[in-house]
Amino acid sequence: MTIAAHPQAVRPLKKRIADASEPYLYSAPALILIITVMLVPLALGISYAFRDIQLLNPLSGGFIGLDHFRALSEDQAFFRALRNTLWWTGASVFLQFLFGLILALLLDKPFAGRGIAQALVFLPWAVPSFLAGLNWAWLFNPVIGPLPHWMYALGIMDAPNNILSDPHLAMWGPIVANVWWGIPFFAITLLAALQAIPRDLYEAASIDGAGPVQRFLSITLPFLAPTIAITILLRTVWISNFADLIVVMTNGGPADRTQIVASYIFTQAFKRLDFGYASAIALVLLVLLLAYSMLIVLLRQTLLNKG
Amino acid sequence: MASIDIHGIRKSFGTFPVLHGVDLTIRDGEFIVLVGPSGCGKSTLLRMIAGLEDVTAGEIRIDGKRVNDLAPKDRDIAMVFQSYALYPHMSVADNMSYSLRLRRSTKEKIASAVGNAASKLGLDPLLERRPRALSGGQRQRVAMGRAIVRQPKAFLFDEPLSNLDARLREQMRAEIKKLHGDLRATSIYVTHDQIEAMTLADRIVAMHAGVVQQVGTPLDLYDRPANLFVAGFIGSPGMNFFEGRYVASGEGAELQLANGATLPLGKRLGIESGSVATLGIRPEHVVIADGGALEAKVDLIEPTGFGIIMHVTIHDIPMKIFTLDRAMLNPGPNVRVDLPRDKLHLFGTEGTRVD
Repeated sequence: MTIAAHPQAVRPLKKRIADASEPYLYSAPALILIITVMLVPLALGISYAFRDIQLLNPLSGGFIGLDHFRALSEDQAFFRALRNTLWWTGASVFLQFLFGLILALLLDKPFAGRGIAQALVFLPWAVPSFLAGLNWAWLFNPVIGPLPHWMYALGIMDAPNNILSDPHLAMWGPIVANVWWGIPFFAITLLAALQAIPRDLYEAASIDGAGPVQRFLSITLPFLAPTIAITILLRTVWISNFADLIVVMTNGGPADRTQIVASYIFTQAFKRLDFGYASAIALVLLVLLLAYSMLIVLLRQTLLNKG
Repeated sequence: MASIDIHGIRKSFGTFPVLHGVDLTIRDGEFIVLVGPSGCGKSTLLRMIAGLEDVTAGEIRIDGKRVNDLAPKDRDIAMVFQSYALYPHMSVADNMSYSLRLRRSTKEKIASAVGNAASKLGLDPLLERRPRALSGGQRQRVAMGRAIVRQPKAFLFDEPLSNLDARLREQMRAEIKKLHGDLRATSIYVTHDQIEAMTLADRIVAMHAGVVQQVGTPLDLYDRPANLFVAGFIGSPGMNFFEGRYVASGEGAELQLANGATLPLGKRLGIESGSVATLGIRPEHVVIADGGALEAKVDLIEPTGFGIIMHVTIHDIPMKIFTLDRAMLNPGPNVRVDLPRDKLHLFGTEGTRVD
């Protein structure tokens, strides 16, 4: 053994360095890529939140500590955007989930033409969000769209007005567009989960005496629960960050009634060109979403452990 | 407990018929086994009794009451599935009590029913576990426990042992038989395994291609198979067949094989001389004797431990012999055999038994 060990002892320094750095060299391309495309922008963005960065002011750029956050804590527009975000996200996710689940349950039953129906259901997902926003904005426009006239005829509205210009109703416009656009995601994922439930269980339950409602509650729901938790988590994060439809349809108006945090960041960064303040808001949103995600992940874990 | 009457049952999936008019009367407390190869319609028949498949034509009565249009839950039957179909998110106790909870039974009644079933099946230490923490045999027991707690009019078993390994299957088979002895519940059991059918059944219903081939006690089917299908299906290794022409000659009769050789049948039978017929004999009934009438060329020897399966050729027709004589492990190239006349089965042109 001493003979075998001997050559190692006199290994030249260069060789030893090369051997030691070998694993790092192998992983370097991937690490460098991740650092440059993910970590650097993230760190830069976070650093903006503590600096005074205004594109139109060449003297800006200095470190200002927590000034942005102090300003933010007194910014009523921000708090309204936060409330609007809750409203926008809650209503959109709930309605998308509800209709997606109903659609999935319908598509789970065999009927003629089910293959075509399943393909059609996926269609809204393939429409670019800006196009969807424009379409729905036009549909709500009484000059060219039919929706206000229909709602007036049904007695839902007093006059065929554009709901997007009514401060009390404006948020419903983007929410409706978002629900239409997002149903396929829930329908398809829930349908996949539904089809993974063994049919035997439903048969056993129907012999045990369970009616349709009891079968849904004691078999379908427990089986869907993990999928529901993870899809709702994903959609909540996406939708609360999803300003496309709002920017296209209402641009935050009227009177900031449809301004959500994501669109407020967009306004601060690209209309007022105050990147520092926009970054501070983004950081707050990031922390809120992280906290929310942790909560859902914990919930899902306990659900899975129980099941 | 109840009797079950099945009258003229037909079933088609779309235009494809799978059951062609099944009639069956099951007495109260009887253990009936539906046996047949895959696709013979036995599971479909069971699922129709359970209410999981619609009846295309005919009538099913449980305890004298027509149930064709009743939902499964209103038929008061319990079913054990091949996959067990246990509710994975419920504990063993909850699985077993689910039907009682749905019927809003009292807590005391549920507890005593589950306790009784659990002690009968040895499930007491497992009641709080989830199905995924159980072995295959334990899951099987839970599935049976779930059926027992209800005290239904009838038990339906859909290949309940197919997912178990051979040793466990043997053990559960005996447990099911013992359980039926205790409960005396009307049971219908579907299997493709003829050993399960033979050992469990009060009466076997042999099915093939959507038609009932024979209904009888296990020994009826073994000793007097009604047709070629039953003869070939029941028994392992399967019955040997010689196809030929039935020729009556004087007091006796014989079977003329294709190559001109004849096999004596002993007595005259009720079919026309000259008609096509098939002679059958079970491997265990072939007698190896030095003075035997036939010469058999030995092709292959399969020792099973208990006995020996010999693959031989007689008159160019391959057949099997089952013998307990260990000397036959090294029989030499040829043996002489006899086909005892009282063990022969003759089937006519249509494949039905001729006596």
